[in-house]
Amino acid sequence: MARPTILIADDDPVFVASMTSVLRTRYGVRTAANGSEALTSVRDDPPDLVILDVMMDHMSEGFDVARSLRLSDETSLIPIIILTGVDRVYNLRMEVDESWVPADHYLEKPVDPTELLRIVGGLVGPGVLEDS
Amino acid sequence: MNPSSGSNGHPGASSNGGSSSSRPSISAPKQGSGSFSFIFAWELHERLLWFSNLRWFAVVGLAAVSLIGPAVGMAATRPSLMVVAALVAVYNLLFVYALKFRFGPEEDYGDLRTVAILQMVTDLAALLVTVHFTGGCASPVLPFVVFHMAIGTIMIETRIMFVLAFATCFAAAGLFACEHFDVLNRHASVIGGQSTPASCGLSTVMLVGLVFGVVYLTDSVTSRFKTRNVELHQTTTELRRSLEEREELERRKSHYMRISAHQLRSPLGTIKTSLQVLLDGYLDPGSEEGLRLLGGTATRVDSLLDIVNDLLELAKMREGRVKAPWARNVSINQILADIFDAADPSAREANVELVPHFIHEGAAVLDWAVPPDLVYAFENVIQNAIKYSKPEGGTVTVALGIDRTHAMIVVADEGIGIPANLQDDVFMEFVRAPNAKHAEAEGTGLGLSIVREAVQMHGGKVSLESAEGIETKVTMVLPLHYVPPEIGRA
Repeated sequence: MARPTILIADDDPVFVASMTSVLRTRYGVRTAANGSEALTSVRDDPPDLVILDVMMDHMSEGFDVARSLRLSDETSLIPIIILTGVDRVYNLRMEVDESWVPADHYLEKPVDPTELLRIVGGLVGPGVLEDS
Repeated sequence: MNPSSGSNGHPGASSNGGSSSSRPSISAPKQGSGSFSFIFAWELHERLLWFSNLRWFAVVGLAAVSLIGPAVGMAATRPSLMVVAALVAVYNLLFVYALKFRFGPEEDYGDLRTVAILQMVTDLAALLVTVHFTGGCASPVLPFVVFHMAIGTIMIETRIMFVLAFATCFAAAGLFACEHFDVLNRHASVIGGQSTPASCGLSTVMLVGLVFGVVYLTDSVTSRFKTRNVELHQTTTELRRSLEEREELERRKSHYMRISAHQLRSPLGTIKTSLQVLLDGYLDPGSEEGLRLLGGTATRVDSLLDIVNDLLELAKMREGRVKAPWARNVSINQILADIFDAADPSAREANVELVPHFIHEGAAVLDWAVPPDLVYAFENVIQNAIKYSKPEGGTVTVALGIDRTHAMIVVADEGIGIPANLQDDVFMEFVRAPNAKHAEAEGTGLGLSIVREAVQMHGGKVSLESAEGIETKVTMVLPLHYVPPEIGRA
């Protein structure tokens, strides 16, 4: 049975390594260090889920990528999780028009591995254990 | 009657219910326009409306005297005074219309002052006509001229009132002279009695004395209130500005705290996630990958410490220079030479040639400086130039120029440069260009903020020019003889 593929886009390699360690137990994982890499990766080989950090090279790069994916016919159905460390500080959820940034879920850093797997499972299914 | 005795302290306030909403609009005449150098436009507007309302009493009075006067023994004045009453009613209607629909309380003060002068002139003209028809120099209406002078002096500039007083006296004297020499018909006084040349002359002298005296005395009495009005306005303006500055400062502090909190929270989020991954057993801490994650986590702890240290450094500089370890006669040449020695290994490692270029032979000596902060500023800029050179290396030139009053330090590199859209922002806290992040992952984004703070603390300025992918040039200009005021006083 094929493992769903998840693309993680974040400019913090340590955080990406942590997320990868958790997600690869059940899913295939690809990574991108910024928004343009993420877009290229999605267009080359659409994943089953995209996890986007908000602030990468630019202040709202994650939002820009999310919007770009939603506006494209080929990628509009890919579920998106927006990852942010600024939620509590900036009250982003209050300020951002959800129709403008149509994320399926928001996750705040630090990310609890169990919670991560639960949310990802809800979006793309439970995946396939590494051993099987 | 003193107009300032009206309700809520403003004459005619009740007749202009909407005026309070218009009060934010304040107009000031040009400075030096007489003793009445300032009045709120809305205030003048209210006074003019009050004055117009008062004028209706004059219209009623004139009509009443015209109609009832003959019946109670007054001389026959019916037609003339009725005409005057009608004229006053007509121009008063025009003034009320103008004040309510053309010259509102938000109008420029100068326009309202023109309306005020026009009111005074027409009233005084109407008064003199009434005086003529009610007995000339023996007319009981003459005191109303004095009354007008008092009201006018409260409303408009005293110098204008002196001009009006002169014109009124001249016109009254001319009227009495015309009546005396039969150029104009003489009318008997409405209250009876005969005027003689002597009594008429005395009346004229008294009128002149009273008119000028009342203008002078009213100005003397009200000048203190006028001055207070000016002071009150200035104090209010200063308080408002101070409040706005305070609010802006609070807003910036709040923004700075939020940004700082985020910058601290970001590595903390990574650290917590990594530790949770290890604790939950997704990675074996003893495995190669686990050790790599632990190493990365330790790096995040280091960057957290760097941020905290830089924030403390910034706070220290902002908190006060008096407590800083300052020194007299600090040589910039010596500081730069020491930094060159210290930076040499990192420059060689980055394949960068450090080129000192001291344009003048003499030493640049600052009268006052905090050496550790200057070292931080120069070192930070030079280390940035080395750190953000291209991978193949290049040259970093540090030039020092001096004139009689300033020292100029220019650090120029051949590095990756700064994108044009960020060049104005890189001195702000936590701003790092994307190409800088790619070239050097670690960095707090506080370095240039501290450089700016340090240079400004020494009375100087720092600026930056850059072409992305080609070069960056940071220029620091420091005054040689700057001593902070608080140190200078000590």
